[in-house]
Amino acid sequence: MNWINALSWPQWLLLAAIPPAVLSLYFLKLKRKRLEVSSTLLWRKTLEDIHVNSIWQRLRKNLLLYLQLAFLALLILACLRPGWSGQDRIGERRIYVIDNSASMQATDTSPSRLELAKEKVKNLLSETASDDVGMVIAFSDRADVRQGFTKDKTRLLAAVDSIQPTNHPTDISEALRAAAGLANPGRSSFDNLSDIQVADAIPATVYLLSDGGFGDLGDSDLGQLKVEFLPIGETGTANVGVLSFAVQRNEDKKNQLEAFARIGNFGEEPVEFTASLEINGELVDASSVKVAAKQETGILFELEQIEEGELALKLDHEDALSIDNTAYAAIRPNKPISVLLVTPGNSALETALTTGRCQRIANVRVESPTFLIDSAYLANDTESLFDLIIFDQCAPTMMPESNTLFMGSKPPSLSEPKKDSDESKKPSEVALGEADFSKDWQFGPSSGPVIILDVNRSNPMTQYLEMGSVVILEGMTVTPPENGTVLMTSDSGPVFAVAPRGPFQDAVLGFGMLQSTSEGIQVNSDWSIKRSFPVFVYSVVEYLGGGITETSAPTVLPGNAIGLTLSNRFDNYRVVSPTGQKIELTRNNESRFTFTQTDQVGMYSVFADEMERPMERFCVNLFSGRESELTVASAIQMGADKIEATSNFVRARQELWRWILGVGLVVLMVEWVIFNRRIFI
Amino acid sequence: MSTSLETANETSSSLLTPEMMSRLERMELVSRKIFRGRMKGERRSKRKGQSVEFADFRNYVSGDDLRFIDWNLYARMDRLYLKLFLEEEDLHFFTFVDDSLSMNFGEPTKYYVARQIAASLAYIGLCRGDRVSVSTFSTAGSPVVLRGKSNVHRLLGFLEGASANEKSPPMEEAVKKFCLRNSGKGVVVVISDLMNKSGYESAMRMLVAREMDIFLIHLLSPEELNPNVQGDLKLVDCEDGDTKEVSVSAVLLQRYQQTLANFIEQARSFCNKRSITYVPARSDQAADVLVNEYLRTRGLVR
Repeated sequence: MNWINALSWPQWLLLAAIPPAVLSLYFLKLKRKRLEVSSTLLWRKTLEDIHVNSIWQRLRKNLLLYLQLAFLALLILACLRPGWSGQDRIGERRIYVIDNSASMQATDTSPSRLELAKEKVKNLLSETASDDVGMVIAFSDRADVRQGFTKDKTRLLAAVDSIQPTNHPTDISEALRAAAGLANPGRSSFDNLSDIQVADAIPATVYLLSDGGFGDLGDSDLGQLKVEFLPIGETGTANVGVLSFAVQRNEDKKNQLEAFARIGNFGEEPVEFTASLEINGELVDASSVKVAAKQETGILFELEQIEEGELALKLDHEDALSIDNTAYAAIRPNKPISVLLVTPGNSALETALTTGRCQRIANVRVESPTFLIDSAYLANDTESLFDLIIFDQCAPTMMPESNTLFMGSKPPSLSEPKKDSDESKKPSEVALGEADFSKDWQFGPSSGPVIILDVNRSNPMTQYLEMGSVVILEGMTVTPPENGTVLMTSDSGPVFAVAPRGPFQDAVLGFGMLQSTSEGIQVNSDWSIKRSFPVFVYSVVEYLGGGITETSAPTVLPGNAIGLTLSNRFDNYRVVSPTGQKIELTRNNESRFTFTQTDQVGMYSVFADEMERPMERFCVNLFSGRESELTVASAIQMGADKIEATSNFVRARQELWRWILGVGLVVLMVEWVIFNRRIFI
Repeated sequence: MSTSLETANETSSSLLTPEMMSRLERMELVSRKIFRGRMKGERRSKRKGQSVEFADFRNYVSGDDLRFIDWNLYARMDRLYLKLFLEEEDLHFFTFVDDSLSMNFGEPTKYYVARQIAASLAYIGLCRGDRVSVSTFSTAGSPVVLRGKSNVHRLLGFLEGASANEKSPPMEEAVKKFCLRNSGKGVVVVISDLMNKSGYESAMRMLVAREMDIFLIHLLSPEELNPNVQGDLKLVDCEDGDTKEVSVSAVLLQRYQQTLANFIEQARSFCNKRSITYVPARSDQAADVLVNEYLRTRGLVR
């Protein structure tokens, strides 16, 4: 039996004042009812010996008072919170690691696994002695230290209470690393533990509360950590979940879409239910699905061609985990990239831009270099209508407000626009004749032949290119300005590079396919007849045009970051989450946006500036067999070690004060009944 | 008999019903003592007198009435003896009813029952030709003295007209007046609840000193025997306004019962020591039952 003081000193003083108050109330008699009797003779005699006027004599045998005092005694006793603990553990360091991944939302234990885990941790906390220090870590696919080492149980309890379920998958390694870092010498601790006493690296016990939805932890070096695994959840909990869901074009029928889903049954019993497909909230198809125990099955929906839309697959099946019963997919807005090709004539390039795949993603407009000095072009920044402008053997007087690709020409200097002086000149002269030394881009002299030695495989534009067999007669070296990336290197130096320019990207190829000389147009390279050329053009259009190539919108796991390739034409985007929350995205120097707030499962839409229609969509789905699998692990494999579940370990501090308070209330009630009915005295 | 029935009908009142009266007519008052009456009546007297019942002989002294000399005895003994006969006389019967305010309690009130008892006993006396004196504490100095059954209406008229009042003197004073007014001896029935703060003992002693055959009917109401009270009360004495604050509890009620038992026992033992017949009675008990059964067993009536 031990005690916990539940009240502060002022509260105790207040409580201590109540018994004297009760006693004094017994002396301050209540207002009496007047009753006429024949004679007070007998009453007087009766009261004579009671009226000895001794206080204690008066109090003697007053059951009501005793009951009230008994109630108060119980109240005081209850406030001391007597109880006993299962085990005596003094001065320990405990790390409570609580799983709040998606599978912990399962309702096989009421109200949910996470709530049960929190309850268990609270029990463990109440059991701890006052010298014990504790720490609370919540983890899903990342670890979150909710409370560093502290003796303050209130803070620990508050930290436990603050843990909310997430839709994230499970990865415990980070949490264990965090715990191990605090327990083992020579490891770094957390930075933000300044106000709490930082634990010295001494042995600690990790209470891992999880359903074990993580795999083999590998050789995690836990050092002095002692791990107690407390599995949460019922073993063998059945669940049905969507493991993948995608929409794609039918290869055979051009005008049709196919929605494909893989559904897994993680229970011991075969299940049969209806899967319904909704597009933009309207039911369009449904299919009966039968899945054998521990098996997966695929379902296919054929859809008519639609421009864009949000697809949701709903499994009409009640199970413990509902979050994986709905999957989302989106058909991307069909919005081709605008490409402007400025060329004096390049049939190979034009052909590469009009391949089937290219046409599907891009609208190409071909203009001759005279277009660049056309008044219409100069008057209203036509270039801002284009996502990508390809300058073949020519260059503008000033850089347009879009991504550019220069092939065999040099971009104008950014620092000194020479619009006026160039106006009289012919475009060809502008392009070729000017040996304009660009301050930002550095060009070497034209020399040849050029042999491509290396291709940057990490860039999407050049990753599929094979340049070994390409013959290039003449070319110049291209040195990008700061932050630029060299994509191709020849024997004499870089010949292809890409560099950011504000929100835009400029790519400069040091050689052209054709070359205009005084003798006419000559072929400069045989690349245009190689297979890699259309691939290169397609990649450039896709990458520099912010190309959207897939029918199906990308999908990520909850909590994972998604990279968004969005058109350069807008600087600000906003993402609308499934709950309607708007998150602003601002372009930095990167061409890709990275969006990380993907905690909610569902459909996310990306809107540009003020546009009504979404530019892009993506989905967050819990396509994780490990999370859908609700079976509770009986042990954790940690390298060679196996940590067995110790479910019976949670022996909570048995609190008595609620019972005592209850008995106190009963006493109070009995007292009241007796007072009113005088049933006994 | 017809006259008695008629009388009963004529005088039927709330105090005495005809049935009660017809029952009472067959009874008679008994005294354990033999008193000298004032007039010739139906009872034996201490006095030797003229009757048919022989009592004793005594020596002749000069001046005695020659008619009572027993000549047969003179012939045998050659001495003069006088034959004495028992004298038959009437009985003096007094009822003395407490009319203090405390008698007004109970349902029916103690005073009503007391008057009923007094009327019953007085009626028996009237039927037997006894001298009946009826008075309350406040009329102790001027009792209604009646003789003969024909006066029953006066008896009832007096009793019905009487009411408990605050002018009623304390028992001691009332008894003193009573004794001064009634010099003769006889049977006295005092009906009271004895709820007198100054005590009843001295009053009773005064009566004992008159060598009267005393009956004390101690009349208590159910409220006094088993008080049905609850809670915190301020008890007010209806006679002197005295207040007592009580918090009713089982302990207190128990103690009250003890006090009451002591009070009754004290009265009983006081009376027994002084040859006073003590008759406890409840006001919720029918008066005729009391008269018929209790007083019969106590020997007041037969």
